[in-house]
Amino acid sequence: MSVDTHANPHHEHPDVVGSRNRLGVILLIVADVAFALSMVFTFFYLKAQNVNEMWLPAATEENPAITPVSSSGAWRITAIAAVGLIAHFMALRNVRSGNQSGLKTFGLMAFIASLFATVLQIQQFGTVPFTFYSGAYASCWYLFAVMNTVHLLLTAFISLGNWNRSRLGLYKADHWHVDIVNVWWVWMVVSSLLGAFSLSFA
Amino acid sequence: MTTMMEHPAPTSGHSPKVGIIRHLNIFTAFALGALTAIVVWRLSLSLLPADSESAPLFTREDKITLLSMIGWFVGFMTGIGALVAPFRWVMGKDLSHEENMYLAGKDMGVKRYFRYTTDHKVVGIQYLVITMTIFGMGGILAMLIRANLGTPEGGWIHPQAYNSIVGTHGIIMIVGTIIMVTGPFGNYIMPIMIGARDMAFPRLNALSFWLIVAAAIPLIWGQFIGGISTGWSAYNPLAGQAPLGMNGYIMFICIFALSTMVAGANITTTVVRMRARGMTWNRTPIFIYGVVASVALALPAFPVFFLSQVMSGMDRALGTSFYDTARGGSGWLYENLFWIMGHPEVYVILIPAVAALMEMAPVFTRRPLFSFNVAVMGIAGICGLSVLVWAHHMYMSGWAPLLNAPFMLTTELISIPTGMLFLVLVGTLWRGRLWMTVPTMSIFALLWNFMIGGVTGIYLSDVPADAFLHGSMYVTAHFHYTLMGAGLTGAIASLVYWFPKMTGRMLDTKLSWASFWLVQIGFNVAFIGMFFVGLQGQPRRVEAYAAIFNKGNLVTSIGAATIMTGMLILLAAVIGSWRNGVKASMNPWHAKSLEWTVPNPVPLENFETLPVVTEDVYGYGRKSS
Amino acid sequence: MPDTNTPYFTGQWWKRKDVKRHAVLWVILTALIGYFGSEIQTRAMGTPASEAMENVIHLIRIFTWAAAPVAGFVAAIAIGALMGKRHHGDFPPPEAEHNISNSPRTNAVWIVISALLCLFALVAGLIALQKDNASLLDAKAIHVNVVGQQWAWNYDYPGTAGVRSNVLHLPVDRPVVFHVTSKDVKHSFWVVQMGIKIDANPGVFTESAVTPNKIGTFDIRCAELCGLLHAYMQNKVIVESQSDYETWLASQPDTGKTTWTEEKAAA
Repeated sequence: MSVDTHANPHHEHPDVVGSRNRLGVILLIVADVAFALSMVFTFFYLKAQNVNEMWLPAATEENPAITPVSSSGAWRITAIAAVGLIAHFMALRNVRSGNQSGLKTFGLMAFIASLFATVLQIQQFGTVPFTFYSGAYASCWYLFAVMNTVHLLLTAFISLGNWNRSRLGLYKADHWHVDIVNVWWVWMVVSSLLGAFSLSFA
Repeated sequence: MTTMMEHPAPTSGHSPKVGIIRHLNIFTAFALGALTAIVVWRLSLSLLPADSESAPLFTREDKITLLSMIGWFVGFMTGIGALVAPFRWVMGKDLSHEENMYLAGKDMGVKRYFRYTTDHKVVGIQYLVITMTIFGMGGILAMLIRANLGTPEGGWIHPQAYNSIVGTHGIIMIVGTIIMVTGPFGNYIMPIMIGARDMAFPRLNALSFWLIVAAAIPLIWGQFIGGISTGWSAYNPLAGQAPLGMNGYIMFICIFALSTMVAGANITTTVVRMRARGMTWNRTPIFIYGVVASVALALPAFPVFFLSQVMSGMDRALGTSFYDTARGGSGWLYENLFWIMGHPEVYVILIPAVAALMEMAPVFTRRPLFSFNVAVMGIAGICGLSVLVWAHHMYMSGWAPLLNAPFMLTTELISIPTGMLFLVLVGTLWRGRLWMTVPTMSIFALLWNFMIGGVTGIYLSDVPADAFLHGSMYVTAHFHYTLMGAGLTGAIASLVYWFPKMTGRMLDTKLSWASFWLVQIGFNVAFIGMFFVGLQGQPRRVEAYAAIFNKGNLVTSIGAATIMTGMLILLAAVIGSWRNGVKASMNPWHAKSLEWTVPNPVPLENFETLPVVTEDVYGYGRKSS
Repeated sequence: MPDTNTPYFTGQWWKRKDVKRHAVLWVILTALIGYFGSEIQTRAMGTPASEAMENVIHLIRIFTWAAAPVAGFVAAIAIGALMGKRHHGDFPPPEAEHNISNSPRTNAVWIVISALLCLFALVAGLIALQKDNASLLDAKAIHVNVVGQQWAWNYDYPGTAGVRSNVLHLPVDRPVVFHVTSKDVKHSFWVVQMGIKIDANPGVFTESAVTPNKIGTFDIRCAELCGLLHAYMQNKVIVESQSDYETWLASQPDTGKTTWTEEKAAA
């Protein structure tokens, strides 16, 4: 008997492998949730403390007063991400009902949405009327923006892979990858929402 | 099966198509990491603009340092091959079976320890070696600290370097103790113990190990550009004004936090989903509970630490003001984030070590574990409470005096589940048949040390008493009693206990006994002395002290030297026995858990047919009529 | 050790020989641990210079005595186990003559007792905490601003224009409230023999109060790593009689530097 045949994950039932991977991804997301919640805590703690009245510094001789940027930018990105989530969910529904072409189309749409949101997020950095040293609010704004950029880049990477794999017909036999990508999409949108929500309270 | 491991059979005819993976190993990783770091450094040096006039700090050097370190990290992880599988997934070309087997180190001999090998047994050995390396380095730093404290008026080390030694000793010992049980034994033993062929995610397993290697370099690098002069807690705003070496600490923590998350998700999934048939939660060994509790607790805790360091890095490199009071930041924010990680972290260290000794207790007393359910309740209770106690590190910080009483309540409540762990161990000793081995005596050592550590913890949990004790050597002695006296004792016992399975040889008995006594006696001498100077009023982390602390410090130094001697003997025993110790039988301790049912050396996939568990793993002792 | 003819697990458990032996051991060990644990620690802490420090010493003493029965129990069983038959060799001893894997009664007793001890520690702590907090509100108190900076302490006295010293002077038997802040990084203001400590944070004031009750010179140390010369960031507090204190205060020049502002002194 060969040493390794039975350990080959390809020989395990896809449902077993799928549920195992799903749990793993959920646990990694738990870690990310802790990260995101600490960011929200940071935001509200610094806002509530308003140490030395420097949450939003008043005008000085050199610098104008800092005012919060409208959170609509953050909400817009969240909305686009939500569109991506819906597209991905449609892709999932299609693959569940055996519709491969629907999977491909919606997978591509999800990828495009994530790309679009990423571009929009990166573009935002140039438009804000303050710099890194403009008080605690500005610091928090950058933190949220950086976190969201990292999330969106990851999402773009994952949804590119997801679409490419569906294009290659790798989800014909089983589609647990698509399920798991959906879990990630949900969390990505929720985290973006958390950021937009916090920034609305500046 | 076993023979195939020892004599790699020439692959018949076809060489497996493994592509680029074949060429990646520790050397390419270091080369690519160093190259990327140098390139990024040169580029940022010439391209980054000078600090703007309005910038509140000088941040250009910090930017360059952090970018170069990130360059190292990306280069190293690429060079070791961590990125191969994700990109192959995107390309839709999943790793083939041959490639997976190649990654698992099939028929590869010693070389597999130097590459991105996914076999959990290889990862376990890698963890063991890196843990011992970390303890070696941390021990040398401890010796330097003691040498500098030989005289009251400050020693021969420059205060800046001394502070850096204290900080580095602290952080690497913390990291060493975090991985000392869940790393080597959680990876090597745990999957066999639950009857699995490997971890749930073998590649994540390799990733978690190589992330630690990647993390170590920025920390060492940091030593040459100013050091970590802030203590291991790296409080802001002190860290904000610390030299460039602080960036090494920041990178180290960020990468290590990633490693913990990956390992946490991996180990938890493995235990939840891959236990053998028949291994219900009631039949799952207590060591498994300990390991899972530890990593599952670290999973939400370390991202908080990660974030605190991201913000610390942003403050330094970009000039943001999360912690700079003058511009709206708060040092209390840092303290909160740090300790939200920091207190669960001590249980991350402690629980698996105590659980390992609970696992050994029935084996060496030849009777069942007393009150398995209470042990599980204790572990669960500690985990649950540990996330609610962080502010007891901040009683004296003044951040919220009204919260001191509630945090005193939660902190003192944690003594109840901790007491349950004592009950289990004491109950198992009661009317057992003692088989005198190093692990057996380690149980007694643990009871002694952990009792002292625990009771002094109650003094410290009390706000008025903490007003005197906080920030003194008493605290230092207290956490050494818990993390080292209890934690490290459990880890060394685990090493002795599982050494035969991991290496196929018995650990030298005489040397390990000598080491045991030297370490335990030295330890108690050293830290009783430290309690004493703490009570007399010596603050922590000082490089000079008043003359009245002279005697206590001398006692501590003598004890520390004794510990070092004992640890060196242990090292000699490990190296000697690993090379040419007595061959171990399959089950030298006559234990009943699954890891002892596989042959030495353990075959690549552990079990030829997966075991089915039908009875209690602690079924020792004669049935009483 | 029970012989094989009479089964061990029959009859009343408290009449068994080894149980009795352990009970005796327990009592002895509890007394030893309680006595030496509290004596050695409280002696190391030296002579208290305030009621707060007396409370700390008292707390450590009663906590040690409260913990002694538990520690003594664990130690009695551990020593009992070591005094029993020990087996050496490469092969295991015969299995124990019982297979008890649980005892709900023992578990319950243990958990209830530890909960009670926990409650006791909490109540004792809360009472002492209450005393410390109450002293913050004492109307007779004098108020001193403490400013930490790398690596020195400065003390600003109110009421007198701009008196600042780097050795703290306090009148005996009069409550004093410290308002502590820092100019740069975090420090921790520790009046060792008075048993109080509070962090000095940049940008904010934190409060701590104490009533010195002994005349003499005591130590103030920084208890939070604050950079290069942290170890040397220490000086003295001189506690003197009210009249000496007033003489000293009057003799001090106006440094022109003080952290007291008009409205703060009024408040």
